[in-house]
Amino acid sequence: MKTITFDVKKRNQIALEMDEVIPDKIYSWEAEDFDKYAVPVGNSRFPITDFFDITVEGTADSPAEVKMIFNGDCGRVKYIGNKMSAGEIIVNGDADLHVGAEMSGGAITVHGNCEAHAGREMTGGTLEIFGNTKEFTGASYIGEWRGMRGGKITVHGNAGKQCGECLVGGHIHVKGDCDILAGIHMRKGLIEIDGNVNRWPGGQMKNGNIIIRGRLGRLLEGFVEEEIVTNPVINGIEFDGTFIKYKGDIALKGKGHLYIDAEKNRDKLSAWEDEDDEYISLGDNRLR
Amino acid sequence: MEYILKNGIVYDPANEIKGEKKDVCFKDGKIVEDVSAAAKEIDVTDKIVMPAGVDTHAHVAGPKLVLGRLYRPEDSRRGVTQKTKNERGESGFSIPSCPTTGYRYSRMGYGTVCEAAMPPLEAKHTHEEICIIPNIDINPLTLFGNNWFILEMARENKIDEMAAFISAWLKITKGYGVKIVNPCGSEAWGWGMNVHGYDDKPPYFDVTSREVVRALAKANEKLGLPHSIHIHPNDLGHPGNTNTTIETLDSLKDIVKSNSKAASVRDQIVHCTHMQFHSYTGTNWRDAGSGAEEVAKFLNHNKHVTGDIGQVTLDETTTMTADAPMEYDLYQLSGLKWVNADIECETAAGIIPCIYSPKTPVSTLQWAIGLELFLLTKDPWQINLTTDHPNAGPFTRYPRIISWLMSAPKRISMIENGEVHNWAEKRTSLATLDREYDFYDIATITRASNARVHGFTDRGNLSVGSNADIAVYDLEPNNFDPSKDPEAVEKAFSRAKYTIKDGQIMVQDGEIVSTKPSQVLWTNVKGIEDQEKAVLDQVMPFFTQYYSVKWENYKVHDHFLSNPIRVDVEMEGK
Ligand SMILES: [Zn+2]
Repeated sequence: MKTITFDVKKRNQIALEMDEVIPDKIYSWEAEDFDKYAVPVGNSRFPITDFFDITVEGTADSPAEVKMIFNGDCGRVKYIGNKMSAGEIIVNGDADLHVGAEMSGGAITVHGNCEAHAGREMTGGTLEIFGNTKEFTGASYIGEWRGMRGGKITVHGNAGKQCGECLVGGHIHVKGDCDILAGIHMRKGLIEIDGNVNRWPGGQMKNGNIIIRGRLGRLLEGFVEEEIVTNPVINGIEFDGTFIKYKGDIALKGKGHLYIDAEKNRDKLSAWEDEDDEYISLGDNRLR
Repeated sequence: MEYILKNGIVYDPANEIKGEKKDVCFKDGKIVEDVSAAAKEIDVTDKIVMPAGVDTHAHVAGPKLVLGRLYRPEDSRRGVTQKTKNERGESGFSIPSCPTTGYRYSRMGYGTVCEAAMPPLEAKHTHEEICIIPNIDINPLTLFGNNWFILEMARENKIDEMAAFISAWLKITKGYGVKIVNPCGSEAWGWGMNVHGYDDKPPYFDVTSREVVRALAKANEKLGLPHSIHIHPNDLGHPGNTNTTIETLDSLKDIVKSNSKAASVRDQIVHCTHMQFHSYTGTNWRDAGSGAEEVAKFLNHNKHVTGDIGQVTLDETTTMTADAPMEYDLYQLSGLKWVNADIECETAAGIIPCIYSPKTPVSTLQWAIGLELFLLTKDPWQINLTTDHPNAGPFTRYPRIISWLMSAPKRISMIENGEVHNWAEKRTSLATLDREYDFYDIATITRASNARVHGFTDRGNLSVGSNADIAVYDLEPNNFDPSKDPEAVEKAFSRAKYTIKDGQIMVQDGEIVSTKPSQVLWTNVKGIEDQEKAVLDQVMPFFTQYYSVKWENYKVHDHFLSNPIRVDVEMEGK
C-alpha cells in the first residue's frame, strides 16, 4: 500500500489539470518523480511542487494499492481522478471541475464542494461528495448523448442543474436538493433524490428511474400518472414510503418512471380534491 | 534550393513507373531532371516514394463544417493535442479544426484535397476556411444541381446559356468545377419532399433530374472544364438505389467529351462520388443487399465514368451533405441530433452524427460493399479512394483502408472472427474476393487517377516540371509483404517519412516540421465574357428580387482567396 499526500501550498488563480496524476499513472512514482513532474496550468506547465508539498509513504505494485490524499483547498484543481480505474483518492477540501470524470473503478471521496461535471461519464467505481455539486453531476460531456454508464455517485449536499443528464446506467444519490432538469435525456440507471426538486425532472427521458423523496415543484407535461405504489423496489433497491408513479417522457414514447413522495406532493394527484382532503376514484391501494 | 531523394523505390503510375529504384530531384518547388552537386541529399534508400496524395472528394471547408463543429463539441474533444513548436494544438476526430485538417493530410503524405460541395451563397465562408487550413492545396466544387437558374435553363434545354452561367458562377464563387447533389431532390426538400428515381420532378419546376444532369454534363463539356461533372446521384442510402445509379451514369454515355486542352487530361464525362452509398439492392433495410457487382460491372464496361468509393470505416463520425432529405431519413432512423439548413434558391444541407458499428448489420453491409467495389472494379484508374470525409469516416482512416485492400487475409479474418456482423458474409461476396492491391495500385487510387480525374497535370505525378509534391513512406516494398502485415501498412501510410509540398519539407518521420499557407485552385474560362454578361443581365432581376443578399456582397472578392492558382481554360475550338 502506498499513501501519497498532497498538502496544498497555495490556491492558484488558473486551474491545475491533474488528469495525469491518477493512481493508474503514478503508482510507481517516488518523491523524486514528483519533483521532476510539471503539471499543466493553462497553456503551460509548472513544477507540481510549486503547488503541493508531496509525501510518499509505502510501495505499490498496482494502481489499486494507491491512496492519494489532498489536504487543503483544491477549488482550482481540475480533473482529480479523471479516468482512474483503481485506487483511492480523498480530498479534504473543495474540488474543481471534472472530479472523477470518466472514472472506471476505485473510489473518490471529497469532503467539500465540487464544481461542475463531477463524475461525468463515469463507468464504474464510487464517488462520494460530502458537500454540494454544481451542474452536470454524472452527466455527459457537452454535446455528447451518453452520460454516466456505471458506478455510484453520492452527494450529501445539493446537486446543481442537469444532474444525471443523458444517464445510461449507474446510480446517483443526492441526499440534499436537486436543481432543474435532473435526468434529462436519460435512458437507463437510477437517480435518487432525498430532498426537494424545483422543476422538470426527467425531460425527454426514454427509460430509467428517478425517485424523489422530497417535494417536486413542477412536473413536465410529458409525464402521465400510472399508479400509487408503496415500498417500490427499483433496480433491486427497496424504497420505503408511498409514491406517485409516473411514466414518461411520452413525447418521446419514453418508458421511464418518475416516483415522487405521495404525501409531500398530494397536490400533484390528478384526482385530488381540495375540499375533503381525500382522493377519490383511485382504487384501494391509494393514499389514505 | 535543390534536393535529391536518393535510392527510393518509386511508384509513379502516371509515368508507368512500378517500383523502380531511382532518384527524384527537385529544385525551386518543381521536379527536375537533374540537380547540381550542391543539392541537399535526402537518403530514402529502399523506401516507398510516390507523388503526394490527391483527395478526389472530401468536405473540409465551409459552413457545414462550422455547424458540425458547433453542434458536436463532443467530437472536438477527440484528438486534442498540445501545441508544438511547429503546430497549433489539434482537435477533433471526424470534424477536425481547420489547422488540424491540414496537418493530418500532410502527415499522411497528401498535398491536394477537393472540397466537394461549396454552395455559391456560402462561397465566401468556404474560402475563409480554406485560408486557415495549412499545407494543402484545395479545389472547391461549386454546387449547381438544385440551383433555380440551372433548373429553369435545363427545362428549356438552353445549354449555351447554362454554360455561360456556370462559367460566370465559377468566377463569382472561385470554384473549380461542377458539383451536383441529389439533383432536384434538395430543391424538393424545401417543401419537405424528395425526388425518387431519375425521372422525378421537384414541386414547381417542370424538370426532371435526368434533364438537369444531362444539361449540366453538356454545358460542362461545352466549356471544356478540367473536371467533368461530379455527381452524387439521387436516392443516396436507399436500398434498391443501384438502378438509379446505373441509370444516371448510363444516360450520359452519348455526351461527347470536349476537345479542349484542359478536358483532354481526363478520361471521364462523369465522376460519380461515394459509389458505396449508391450500390444497394433490396426494398428496405431488412432485405437490403449489395449492388456492388452490378455497379462494378457497369464501370468495367463504361469508360466514360470514374468514381470514388466513400468507404465506411466503422467509426463514429458526422455525416454532412447537401442531400438534406437523406439526412432527415437518417435522423428518423437514429434519432440523434440533427441540423437542417436551407440555402436560398441554391441548395440545402443536413448534418447528423452517425455510428457505423461493426456489430450492426447495415454498417457492416456498407463496409463490405465499399470494399467489394474496390475489388471488383478492374481498372484502378476508374476508382479513387475516399471516405467522403467525414460522411463514411474521417480521412485519417485512409491508411487503414489501404491495409484492407492490400491484405485479403486481414479482410477474411475480420469476417471469420466476428469482428464484423455476419451480413458481410451472408449478403456480399467480400469473403470470396482474394484480390490484393499492390503499391502501384494504391498509388493509382490515391494520387495518379485522382489527379487525372480532376484534370491536374502539375500534381499526382513525378514528371519533370510538375510540382515537387512528394511522399515517402517508411516501408521497404522489396522486403515486405503487405498481405501479412496490414498493421505495418496502416502505420506507414499514417505517418509519412517525408511529405514534400512545392519543394518544402512539411513532414519528417510523421511529425510536422514546417507549415505553409494553403493555395486554392479555381477555373477561369476565357473567351465567353460576352455570353456571361448576357446571362447575368438576364438573371439579375430575379436575383435582386429573391436573394437576401445584394449582388455586390455575393461575389467572392479577391482578398478572400488563399494564394489563388487560376486555371485558365480555352473553350474548345478557340
Ligand atoms: Zn461528399
